[in-house]
Amino acid sequence: MQENIQASVDEAALDAEPAVSAESEIVAEAAVPEKPKRRINQAKLQDNLWGWIFCLPLIIGTVWFVYYAFILAFLLSFTKFTNVDGSLMDAVAHYGEFINTGEWGAAHWYYQLFHEANGTTTSLGAQGIVMNEMGRYLFNTVFYMIGIPIGMILSVFFAVCMSRDIRGGNLFRVLYYLPCVASAIAIVYTFKIMFRTDGVMNTLLGLKDYTYPDITGAGGNKGFVWIPEGTNIGYSWCDIAGIQPTEDTSAFMRDPFWCQGLLSKTVIVIMSVWKGLGGTIILYVAGLSGVNAATKEAAEIDGANGWQIFWKVTMPDLYPTIFYNIVTSVIGGLQIYAEPELLMSTSSASAGFPNVSGFVALIYKYGLVGDVKSYGAGAAYGFFLAVIIFVLTLFQFWLDSRNKD
Amino acid sequence: MAENENVENKKVPLPGSDSQEEVRAYYSPLRYGWGAFCAFFGFSTKTHRASKKRAKLVMDIATYIVLLFGAFLMVYPFWWMIAGSFTATFPQNNTPIFTLVWWPSESTWTATMLENGETVPMGGFFNYIYFFTDAFASGATMAGFAEGFTYWRALLNNLIYSIVPVVVGVITSASAAFAFAKIQWIGRDVVFMFLLAAIMVPGPSIMITQFVMYSDMDWQYNGLVLIIPGMFGSIMTAFFIRQFLFGMPTSIIEAAKIDGAGYFRIFTQFILPLAMPAIMAQGLLSFMGCWNNYMGSFIMIPQNSPAINLPHAMYLLNNAVFQANQGPNIAGAVLCVLPVMILFACFQKLIIGSLMLTGSKE
Repeated sequence: MQENIQASVDEAALDAEPAVSAESEIVAEAAVPEKPKRRINQAKLQDNLWGWIFCLPLIIGTVWFVYYAFILAFLLSFTKFTNVDGSLMDAVAHYGEFINTGEWGAAHWYYQLFHEANGTTTSLGAQGIVMNEMGRYLFNTVFYMIGIPIGMILSVFFAVCMSRDIRGGNLFRVLYYLPCVASAIAIVYTFKIMFRTDGVMNTLLGLKDYTYPDITGAGGNKGFVWIPEGTNIGYSWCDIAGIQPTEDTSAFMRDPFWCQGLLSKTVIVIMSVWKGLGGTIILYVAGLSGVNAATKEAAEIDGANGWQIFWKVTMPDLYPTIFYNIVTSVIGGLQIYAEPELLMSTSSASAGFPNVSGFVALIYKYGLVGDVKSYGAGAAYGFFLAVIIFVLTLFQFWLDSRNKD
Repeated sequence: MAENENVENKKVPLPGSDSQEEVRAYYSPLRYGWGAFCAFFGFSTKTHRASKKRAKLVMDIATYIVLLFGAFLMVYPFWWMIAGSFTATFPQNNTPIFTLVWWPSESTWTATMLENGETVPMGGFFNYIYFFTDAFASGATMAGFAEGFTYWRALLNNLIYSIVPVVVGVITSASAAFAFAKIQWIGRDVVFMFLLAAIMVPGPSIMITQFVMYSDMDWQYNGLVLIIPGMFGSIMTAFFIRQFLFGMPTSIIEAAKIDGAGYFRIFTQFILPLAMPAIMAQGLLSFMGCWNNYMGSFIMIPQNSPAINLPHAMYLLNNAVFQANQGPNIAGAVLCVLPVMILFACFQKLIIGSLMLTGSKE
């Protein structure tokens, strides 16, 4: 024993790299009382040095690709900087020259976000609810959020089923998780054909022979349209009801956004619920396994039925998981982009579909498409999205803190 | 009359505590029969008490029915994809795939086509072969591909984009996680909060500046944009590996230090092997994310570049080539999904276990 300690002390003393822990430090202090202070500092130095070295790649990556980009996005959002104006460094060096002048001064892009009306709206006349392009894209984004409560209820239900003491629970977990690992593009192209006028969905629902009212006299189209094809923006309530629109008809009746738009968005909600279900089920199964079995048993002995146990014992324990899930789903849901774009895109139209696109499509459409890419506009819209997400997240945490009191 | 009074005065007989004959005499035959019916399915009523075993059996069967129905809904689109990839949509038209429910009316296994004036069988894997060869060959003129861009190039790109950044990134993340979990250094908690706060910044809001940054550095045409940023590691991965490392005893590291190992050796020889389950699971999840990364390629890489990945190529082909011939499109979708499915099937225990442990969703 004594020898061992002596050996380790010798080793520590001989070691050129004094990577020694606090324990051996004490021993070293006792054995070599001349220079204890320096050695302790050495160990501390090693800790600090290696701590920073191990973290350095992640810190560099985060600062460079996230914080730096975010600060520049904020700066760019007040400029009229485009891709023909040179590099990012030029924009920073000559920042004064690029500052936007327009309505609301430098904040011109933010002004435009709220005022610029989309062409289809103005051509329909201004009766009733008229939305500009941003309003439409934002409405779509919020509409997709109805998938969150639906998915939540379904996944809690399936998770409760799976955590019963049955054989093959693991197999079901794997099967339900399959859509989560599948590529979005493959799923979208599959759903696109399944929801065609003569596709699986219409066959099952018996809507294959649904005939639209004949307004123009060219004969009504056959088959219920979930997703309009090509440049066609789909049917309005006027088309469905067979009313010839007049000057007095409200925008709600004339605008396909309020009819076909809602239907197409429903397809995306179905798709995203289907795709996201497995992930949330696994979260809830994990949450349910943490529910206290003793409390459950006690409730059972006290005569509570299954329904009461679920609401009074299981749900309170599941609450943190549900809260986490809602927060991440809302943040993720606001950033929806690929699914609606892929569902609608054809050779003739590729970016920005007012009927279905999420807010991110606006950033892409104005910031990154065309020969002259208006980076300033894209950055401004992106910053606006960041603010929305930040406020919503704060709001959720505020609700959570209020619930706890 | 006397009998009636007798019944009214008597207490309500309970199944189990009183004899079943008394219960039968008390209730009407209809009510008694209904009770027997309920008890058979495991529900206790006033007339019958169901056995717990029966109740569990019935509930189990109901659970299975519900779960099987759900599993069917989850799996059906994948079945549809496979059936769709064997549909003969060429040179007929798209109708067989649009009306497909279970198995195509005209599958590639039975259909024939005209080749050089002769009628020849199509071959079961016609759509796949068409996707590999003709579709990509016509992509250069129709979809704006780079000259000589093939399926194999797209596949290679996908493999590079999902192996290199993931392997390097997971190691850098793990090293950061090690520093956060097991080393005491000045500024540790501040740095951790600083990094965690970066999660709040949504990706699309910095999309534009990242685009400009990458185009300034010329990372777009050659595809470095999908490789280099990922190599710096990801905060979420670091966070979850850190959670895993917290559960590991510190005494291992102390022992290694006493034996004279430096932190670098501790990391490579102790932490990496010991945290392998967490690292593997996080790596596999990021691999799947990178494999399916349509948006990264679509936003950042120009379509005439030979560095676009498979989902991006599929998108361009769908818009330009496949509108009138959807069979190969779905075959491409199957090829896109298949590798991650196989990977998931092999490592499902690890992945699901890690998801349940860390509570992450992706």
